[in-house]
Amino acid sequence: MTPVPASNASQSVASPAESRWRTRDILVAAVIGVAFGVVFWAWGLAWSLFEPLNAAFPVARDLLYAVWLVPAVLAPLVIRKPGAALFAELVAAGVSALLGSAWGVDTLLSGFVQGAAAELVFAFTLYRLWSFAVLSIAAIASAAAAWVHDWVLYYPDVALDLQVARGIAMAVSAVVIVAAGSRALAGSLRRAGVLEGFPD
Amino acid sequence: MLTPIDLTVAQERSLLGRTNPLVKLGLALAWLVGLAVIHDPVRPLLLAVVAVMAGLALGRIPPARLFRGLVPLGMAALSIAVATLVFAAANTDPTAHELLRVGPLRITREAVAAAAALGARVIAIVSTGVVFAQTTDPTRLVDALVQQARLPERFAYGALAAYQAVPRLGQDLATLRQARRVRGVARTWRPRLLVGLLVGLLVRAIRHADQLALAMDARAFGSGPRTTFRPLRWQWTDLAVAVAGVAILAASLARR
Repeated sequence: MTPVPASNASQSVASPAESRWRTRDILVAAVIGVAFGVVFWAWGLAWSLFEPLNAAFPVARDLLYAVWLVPAVLAPLVIRKPGAALFAELVAAGVSALLGSAWGVDTLLSGFVQGAAAELVFAFTLYRLWSFAVLSIAAIASAAAAWVHDWVLYYPDVALDLQVARGIAMAVSAVVIVAAGSRALAGSLRRAGVLEGFPD
Repeated sequence: MLTPIDLTVAQERSLLGRTNPLVKLGLALAWLVGLAVIHDPVRPLLLAVVAVMAGLALGRIPPARLFRGLVPLGMAALSIAVATLVFAAANTDPTAHELLRVGPLRITREAVAAAAALGARVIAIVSTGVVFAQTTDPTRLVDALVQQARLPERFAYGALAAYQAVPRLGQDLATLRQARRVRGVARTWRPRLLVGLLVGLLVRAIRHADQLALAMDARAFGSGPRTTFRPLRWQWTDLAVAVAGVAILAASLARR
């Protein structure tokens, strides 16, 4: 394996608060999006295998819903630049749509609302706070956006108590899979040595 | 399995293949929003049929490909329809017309109507999505997003460069799984092992991103005014497709 370039040629030093994106930031965020686009594609197949189970116990599958939301928190956690949540989630959605997702163009709309909701939370902290609490709030915001989107488009006639149960399951899922999961993934990547030159 | 859609020459030269990607994207999103306000099963199914026919006739999508793209639709539509059928708010409404009662489960005529409408909605959303994906080359889409929609070029072309890595990621995944098999880790479908696979995939992906970024910086990517290799111009066919798509949507929204 070739050595990992710690920084690129044009700007070798960037402070964490620096908001201009280096080429490396763009490519790493994009590639996180692309890798998750591939994950989404595979996850979409698994998701449809759960269909019969979902008809019987509709909330159980939503405990795994947040797999769709990981890039919206993982990419900004690694890059720490304005726009990373929206960019990575949109790239992931676009790639899974191009690979053939079950949800067509709606994948893009879903990706947009999920990424934008997390982005708003990070913007509110001025991209300076990266504690577990902030990650959790961003993950829950993203899940909430997905929940409203799904309610309007796919479950408009479903009873309110089920909607609320879905919402709770999605929020739990967001904290466990997205917030804790992104933290664990970023830690693994750091230990693997591929995040040199990115803020801790 | 993991191969990006590769359009045939006939698909690329067809009317829909030559139509500006922004027009198709805009129409697909407009149809999506329109479908969200339609609450009966007939109109979405008509829109789905129009989309599929247009894909076959105007997009020259090989039928086998089109139908392969439509397969996930069955499960998705069924899932949404069943969830609505069983858990519709109408089922607990005493004034609704009861059709069936099995133990605690009561199914009403209103719930059946809602389930049919939503199943049809999903079918229409997926059909337009498949036709869009099967007539649009990702590179042309990004060109149009940069040249005509004025999206930031560094991000758009950065994403495109990363997207080109998809087949490579597929190979990486195969290599990682083989490496595990050599070490005697046979059952790769346990959650812990899948997470390990994901970390391995991300490590390889980020290393690839670093190399790409270095190569692109070495060619002064995004550092000054950009010339275009594939200039795009609006065509009269773009207008025709846009008008036809909007007219079909408007007709189905107006029809009662």
